[in-house]
Amino acid sequence: MVDVEIRRDRIILRYKGKKWDWILEPRYWRNTLLWTAGLLVFPILCYFISPILLNTVVNANLYAAIAIPLALMTLGTGRINFGPNFFIGVGGYTAALLSIAYGWGPLKTFPFAVLMSLLSALVFSPLVIVARGLYYVLLTLLLPLVFMEITFIYTDTFKGDVGLAGIQLLLNTGMVKVNFLLTAYISMILMLLYLWVINKVIKSRYGLIMATINDGEEVAHGIGVNINKVKILAFVFAAGMIGVAGWFYAHYFGTFAGITYLPLNFMIKILLVIFIGGRAQIFGCVVGGYFIAFLEMILVVTLGEIQPVLFPVILAVLLFTLPEGLFGLYRRRRYREYLPTLHVRR
Amino acid sequence: MPEILTVRNITKSFGGLTAVHDLSFHIRKGETVGLIGPNGAGKTTLVNLLCGSLYADRGEVEMEGKLITRIPPHKRCHLGLSRTYQIPRPFPELTALMSVVTSALCGKDRVNRGLDDAAAEATHYLEFVGLFSKRNILARDLTFFELRMLELARALATSPKLLFVDEVMAGLNPGEAIKAVHLIARAKEEFGLTIFWIEHVMAVLMEAAERIIAIHFGEKIAEGTPAEIANNDMVIEAYLGSGWKKGTCN
Repeated sequence: MVDVEIRRDRIILRYKGKKWDWILEPRYWRNTLLWTAGLLVFPILCYFISPILLNTVVNANLYAAIAIPLALMTLGTGRINFGPNFFIGVGGYTAALLSIAYGWGPLKTFPFAVLMSLLSALVFSPLVIVARGLYYVLLTLLLPLVFMEITFIYTDTFKGDVGLAGIQLLLNTGMVKVNFLLTAYISMILMLLYLWVINKVIKSRYGLIMATINDGEEVAHGIGVNINKVKILAFVFAAGMIGVAGWFYAHYFGTFAGITYLPLNFMIKILLVIFIGGRAQIFGCVVGGYFIAFLEMILVVTLGEIQPVLFPVILAVLLFTLPEGLFGLYRRRRYREYLPTLHVRR
Repeated sequence: MPEILTVRNITKSFGGLTAVHDLSFHIRKGETVGLIGPNGAGKTTLVNLLCGSLYADRGEVEMEGKLITRIPPHKRCHLGLSRTYQIPRPFPELTALMSVVTSALCGKDRVNRGLDDAAAEATHYLEFVGLFSKRNILARDLTFFELRMLELARALATSPKLLFVDEVMAGLNPGEAIKAVHLIARAKEEFGLTIFWIEHVMAVLMEAAERIIAIHFGEKIAEGTPAEIANNDMVIEAYLGSGWKKGTCN
């Protein structure tokens, strides 16, 4: 049985000779709570300023909700996956096809979308063992592109060119503006949940083990880390989380087209969220997500047709001028150690 | 003393090159066994075969009666095999403490081991190698000698029974080398280790090892006490060439 011990500063779980500490650090909660409160107020502000902004908020939350698990995948496998949008496609198409075929709502399609994302990740998980470096990048890059081709080949099923329509909506309160507001909150809660779970994982022993794999796979193997197990788990777990974003897109818009999410430009957007926010900094993914979504929106509104050219240029400049990303600016001013350190009083 | 590791007719080839050929030997519990050989003799390949980084083409490796020829490195580590590397291979983005904590967490299975418990134990090993004051420094910022010591602490934290020390003297100045040798001797005594020491510097093994195995072109050419090895004709020939004995070499 699981033995739970509650102490002043931590909750300890013991099970079959294994022990997990859940350290409670209320003194570190202030900034987290302030940021979360700020984020939660934001959709309401947007609602009163211009409800169209709510769509950008949803996009920003979803960019972050894709980038956060991708950061975990990058850390846990020691490789950069260039095709995270493959899992968005899997999750989205599963939800869309089931909803259209059986008239299922989002709650019913959710477990299947997650399951299919996990299964597809499991099928392709040997990639993290056999391929590394450029080969891994190329192979993962191909996955969404091949999937997109399949949606065109089997266009009767996937409607590759026009997209699947008639998917049940995530919410239908009868008032469009309220729908947008509630959807913005659901996407934000999803993103915050991802942030919390993955932050916990990264700060735990599993995060430390992933960091060793990231730093030196063979050495980690030599000191007793079962690297293949960790890499596959990180890949599959993160892919399941990314698949949920696909499910969200399908039920949010009521339509799902592979051509929107599977091509390179969507993938580049997600990778830029990671790099602009701060390389593999999960908190940076939130900053990056909001930055990219709002920058894109502003450029579309102000520049119109020239936007596809200027967007990458602005991002390239930012990549060079801010090597540590936007979150890096904050970290530089307010440094805090995220891994346990021992202080000796002399 | 019972045997802790037995190697039987182990062979490893890379394409047309046979790096280790039909090598057999054993290591007894509590011993310090040295392995010598000129450059390219196959010493590091042998350690890689024993630790599981490479698998043998033929032959068997047995540890305490269990056949480990085909099991992966992490399982060998759980059984009590650990190693240091000839060129230090730290985790550059981790602090010294965290590098050792991972070893303490992932090495030998222990009951009720949390991250904090592992950190507490890791400090002991860092103190042992003299790196406690540098515990919060990233491994990439440590000096070469400190990296060697960190490697040793990382290897010790897995609670090994048998430790492979791969050319610990390489790149150290004489003062640091003496420190390292003393530390390994202390580790052997304090943690009850068996040591398999691969070394280029003969003088070190002459002092530290109880038994030495000499290999050349992947084959065993001699085995015996340091004194026997030092006077062995084949070892002298392998190191200095046949001309040395005939007196034709200047």
